[in-house]
Amino acid sequence: MRTFRAEAFGGIVQLERPRALVFIDRDYARSLGHDGGARWSAPETALGARPLAAPLEAHLQLTNRCGAGCRGCYTGATPTGAAGEWGLAEWKRAIDALAKQGVFHLALGGGESAALPWLGDIAAHARARGLIPNLTTSGLEGLDRLVAIAPLFGQINVSIDGVGDVYARVRGFDGFARADAAVLRLRAVKKEIGLNCVVTRDSFDALGDVFAYARRRRLNEVELLRFKPAGRGERAYAALRCTDEQHRAFLPTVLRLSRRHRVRVRVDCSYTPMIAWHDPGAELLRQLAVYGCVGGDFLIGAKASGVMTACSFAAPPPERPRVDAIAAYWERDDAFAAFRGWRDAEEPCRSCPYHELCRGGCRVVSAHVAGSLRAPDPECPRVTSHRRHLPVLG
Amino acid sequence: MKDKKGRILAVKWGLNPNSSSLGVDVTFLLLGAGALALLTPVVGALLRLRRVRGKKAAP
Repeated sequence: MRTFRAEAFGGIVQLERPRALVFIDRDYARSLGHDGGARWSAPETALGARPLAAPLEAHLQLTNRCGAGCRGCYTGATPTGAAGEWGLAEWKRAIDALAKQGVFHLALGGGESAALPWLGDIAAHARARGLIPNLTTSGLEGLDRLVAIAPLFGQINVSIDGVGDVYARVRGFDGFARADAAVLRLRAVKKEIGLNCVVTRDSFDALGDVFAYARRRRLNEVELLRFKPAGRGERAYAALRCTDEQHRAFLPTVLRLSRRHRVRVRVDCSYTPMIAWHDPGAELLRQLAVYGCVGGDFLIGAKASGVMTACSFAAPPPERPRVDAIAAYWERDDAFAAFRGWRDAEEPCRSCPYHELCRGGCRVVSAHVAGSLRAPDPECPRVTSHRRHLPVLG
Repeated sequence: MKDKKGRILAVKWGLNPNSSSLGVDVTFLLLGAGALALLTPVVGALLRLRRVRGKKAAP
């Protein structure tokens, strides 16, 4: 396991127990015996002042094959998959490149990666190169094989977008019983099993059932994901996205449920505007590494064809760089320009005290709703309030 | 938190299995800044303990 990576601000130390990435300044790194080498040759910068030396994690879509057919699938997965999908050899090469770059973690997804007969080879290869592989699965395919290789992964989450009937309302088919069976089998062999839940306007009021379910099944976390307008989700977006009132109620609701059911809660980066709106304190969020859009910086995605993206929802950059060539692309001045250019923001982001963290919210939602990757997240409560108070011109 | 030994700037807890976004543990928001201020020295102690163990393990 990689234990340290030098950065312009200092470095990042990885702890195994408790599982954490600790961001430290140069003095602290020196006191631990680390040397930043060439990355410390220029003056020390603040965390966030420039992109990291490498992503913290890479999100690899190992395949876009999946037979579930969820109506909101953000990759538009199908039973036949995508054209030009990579195989084991190409993904191993990519993992070698990511390891050399200094990436800490992989998040493996799809499609349904658990259906791949070589998923265990990928996980073992990642471990051998010092990366921790993590996995999201629907639990609907490849379960026998996955149970056997589960110990190779750091964390496995099963996608459960609602309990009982709510699952079918969100996904468009009734797969809850099978997903629940997968949770039971995985939890029998591994402690670090959680669930991923895409939150929709239909399922928001039933989130309590999701936390109660996680507690009942002794899961270690609930990760809540905002519905994104990508893949088949573009068509379903207007019907499934949460309302402004739900977004405003999101943070107190999930913290109340986390406390009541004693289950840890993680939220995806696109929810940062909904957290910041409650003004918990910028320094507190900074200390917890709560950032908004960190695509092309803290994280990258890779399509099933190996093309690299700023995040899994985003279209590839015009150059269509491959993930196994990350070293050549990462340092370019124009790399992931639409994502790294977050400082050039419009109001109300420009004057927001959380902008350095939030970075304008979810770029993919902005592109879909506002027509520009650089527009403020149109579902941020601060943005919606700002727009309501704008004078009506006509 | 600033002293001659430098600063812990941030701690990102847990592992993110979600291949579509960066998940962050917000459970600590239940505890607030005060609890986090108590936790930071604990993380620092773990970092230094690991260094001591690493030195002892070295030939």
